[in-house]
Amino acid sequence: MSAVVLDRVTFRYPASATAALVDISLVVNSGEIVALIGATGSGASTLLLVTAGLAPGGGVVGGELTGEVRRDGRAALLLPTPWTQVSGMAFTVWDEVAFGPANLGWPRERISESVDRSLTRVDVVHLRDRDPGTLSGGELQRVILAGVLAMEPAILLLDEPTAELDPAGAALVWRLIRELAQEGMAVVVATSDIDALPESVDRVVWLERGRVRTSGTTRQVLAGEDLWEPDAPGSTSIAGVWRRAGLPGPVPLTVPDLVSRAR
Amino acid sequence: MTPALWIDDVSFAYGDRPALEGVRFELAPGERAALLGHNGAGKSTLLRLVTGLVKPASGTVWVGDWDTRAKSPAELARRVGSLFQHADQQLFARTVRDDVAFGPRVTGVRAGDAAGRVERALAALDLEAVAGQHPYDLPPPLRKLAALAGALALEPALLVLDEPTAGLDRRARRLVTDALSARAEHGVALLVITHDLAFAAETLDRGLVLERGHLVLDAGLASVLVDAPRLGRLGLAPPPLARASTALGLPGLPVRERDVAAALVTRCSA
Repeated sequence: MSAVVLDRVTFRYPASATAALVDISLVVNSGEIVALIGATGSGASTLLLVTAGLAPGGGVVGGELTGEVRRDGRAALLLPTPWTQVSGMAFTVWDEVAFGPANLGWPRERISESVDRSLTRVDVVHLRDRDPGTLSGGELQRVILAGVLAMEPAILLLDEPTAELDPAGAALVWRLIRELAQEGMAVVVATSDIDALPESVDRVVWLERGRVRTSGTTRQVLAGEDLWEPDAPGSTSIAGVWRRAGLPGPVPLTVPDLVSRAR
Repeated sequence: MTPALWIDDVSFAYGDRPALEGVRFELAPGERAALLGHNGAGKSTLLRLVTGLVKPASGTVWVGDWDTRAKSPAELARRVGSLFQHADQQLFARTVRDDVAFGPRVTGVRAGDAAGRVERALAALDLEAVAGQHPYDLPPPLRKLAALAGALALEPALLVLDEPTAGLDRRARRLVTDALSARAEHGVALLVITHDLAFAAETLDRGLVLERGHLVLDAGLASVLVDAPRLGRLGLAPPPLARASTALGLPGLPVRERDVAAALVTRCSA
């Protein structure tokens, strides 16, 4: 079942001469994880804002959109740097996580249940009484993610969710994303953590200057030689070292792939 | 030779919450150290101590022959260039070029000399094309590069950087690696907090690991990166090339792309 449909979407920010997104069509089904990759300025963050209905709209970002954006269910967006998303109105982590659900007008018991469940899932229960202003970047990123999940979205939109996390925290987030998809959530994640993709996502969309350059299964996209063009985002570290060694295809993407090829 | 940085038995606490306890290490000119550890292990606190934003509760932080207790952060900026995790909060001028020029100007660099430093820093990170733009018109990754250019423009003896590659794309990460390597070759010491161990492998060569405020490991970075059990206990994991090197038993357990590629060529042609 399609949770997100973008049909020939073009979007231009106010006072910008060039469109940030050009003629983007994308369908994301419930239970599916789609990664957006691309160099800085490729449009991945804008695509998430547009999909969330925040650009244009929501009083956040103006601009002009043509084409159609359809969402089946509530969408929630995690912004790339957690400091931009903290409410600034909560004295404890628990209240920070409750901020979104409270704005949805839910009864107190439902908020409480959802907040506790989200804190557990993101493994930050131990921080529940801390002042959000005293958290490290990685701790805050997980708290903000808990707040997003507490709104029980059907569509989860994540912008660089692991950028501030240590490897253990990043692995937890990628595992969690998989679990949420298995429960039926549709997930779209903009990321520069290409190494995580082969084991974490179903499909990859490569954006370049606001257009879809290539999309397909993770394997199809990440094995492409064109990902190594100077301004392209590159593939995995393993694909990179294989290429640098000048060895023949098919290109391995992961350590197990490489080991079975080179042993 | 005087170390670029000497952390001499340093402890620090936020109220009654200890952040660092009895940390000691030295960094020689040109040394390239990664500072690794869990979120909340004390890494950012150490950076604040080195830049003089906070002073040690006990012990001494020496930047060259300066005791940070006797110097203001502005004075220390003549020797320490820094990039904080909230990099975009370091920007405040109306153009990227003015922002990069701020450090040299307030630390008393002569105007002609300062202009050269600014242009060298902008060039090193390929920012010339956006130098006339307002920093907040740039996407966050370019703002981060602009903040890093500001640190480079100080041409300090020591660079302390908090997650310089977080959120950067492949091209920008390579620019950072090249710029930092070039500075280190000219004797600048690097102390870099990073979770990006693939970047660390390409750029740095010493590994300092903090755990709950204690320095628990100080060793060659390559040996740290292939030690999966040890990294695992610290909430870290070897980057892909280190894992590949270990899994294949490549000679010398290389971790840099160039060295792993060469070992693969030998392996696959055997």
